[in-house]
Amino acid sequence: MAEPEAMDVDVEKQPEEEAVRDKKGKGKASKRFEIKKWNAVAMWSWAICTDTCAICRNNLYEPSIEYQANPTGDPDHPGLSIAWGVCGHVFHLDCIQRWLKTRSACPLCNKEWEFAKIEKILPGGGSMGVE
Amino acid sequence: MTAKTRVMKEYKEISRSQADEAIELLPDERNILLWKGLIKGPQESPYEGHIFELGIKVPDSYPLAPPAVHFVTKIFHPNVHFKTGEICLDILKTSWSPAWTLQAVCRAVLALLSAPAPDSPLNCDAGNLLRAQDMRGYSSMARMYATRLAAMPQGSSIVEQPHPSSLNTFKEDH
Repeated sequence: MAEPEAMDVDVEKQPEEEAVRDKKGKGKASKRFEIKKWNAVAMWSWAICTDTCAICRNNLYEPSIEYQANPTGDPDHPGLSIAWGVCGHVFHLDCIQRWLKTRSACPLCNKEWEFAKIEKILPGGGSMGVE
Repeated sequence: MTAKTRVMKEYKEISRSQADEAIELLPDERNILLWKGLIKGPQESPYEGHIFELGIKVPDSYPLAPPAVHFVTKIFHPNVHFKTGEICLDILKTSWSPAWTLQAVCRAVLALLSAPAPDSPLNCDAGNLLRAQDMRGYSSMARMYATRLAAMPQGSSIVEQPHPSSLNTFKEDH
């Protein structure tokens, strides 16, 4: 995630700086170059180093094993969300919820579990055709 | 239901890559929740050169609950009950984590063979020898029982180096 952002900043600054310099110079200092067309390409991924839920071993981009076994169609089902702990580890929400009933520790680092954030896997229904 | 799915995933992962040559995991033909684990006695342990069979039962609540693992092959080790094969290993009980896999469990058992913990013995004879710092006594007992009770590698597909010469080859590979 950090890389594309850094690139954005770099590239955008240049035309801005040009413009500022133009104003300061008051006159119509000849532009060194002009951007005619701009195709922005953005890449994104969860800021996680693994893409598998260590509990159910399903990909974190797809629902949990539990949800796949019993798809309810409820878009708020915890099997359709993933949860980050403050330790940085990520699991399907329903997977980690069920584990926390046994022990309130992260399955990967054994630190006391505390939720940092929860997000839906497929915002707005997504393109994976979950029904 | 989910236990079977999860274990099936592990089965596929294992079949895709034989990551660990010291471990062979075989599911029961009729029941994916029953496994046989064959582990190769670690180098520089008295179990070296022998194959030990583990019985693995995966509960329906797996991976939230640990698999039940015991030694089918009798083994002389402070943390293994000589008669029942019960294993005293924290990760199979209180320290279990659902992030573990059957293969990881076998690795933990192998680590236990390399590093026995004599202060919580299930086999007091083995524990006492170690607590008395009698490494030679413990090793020769363990080796004697392994020779009598554990399989040699020949018949098994996991290790084909019954001869010391091929053992060296194995070491160089790693």
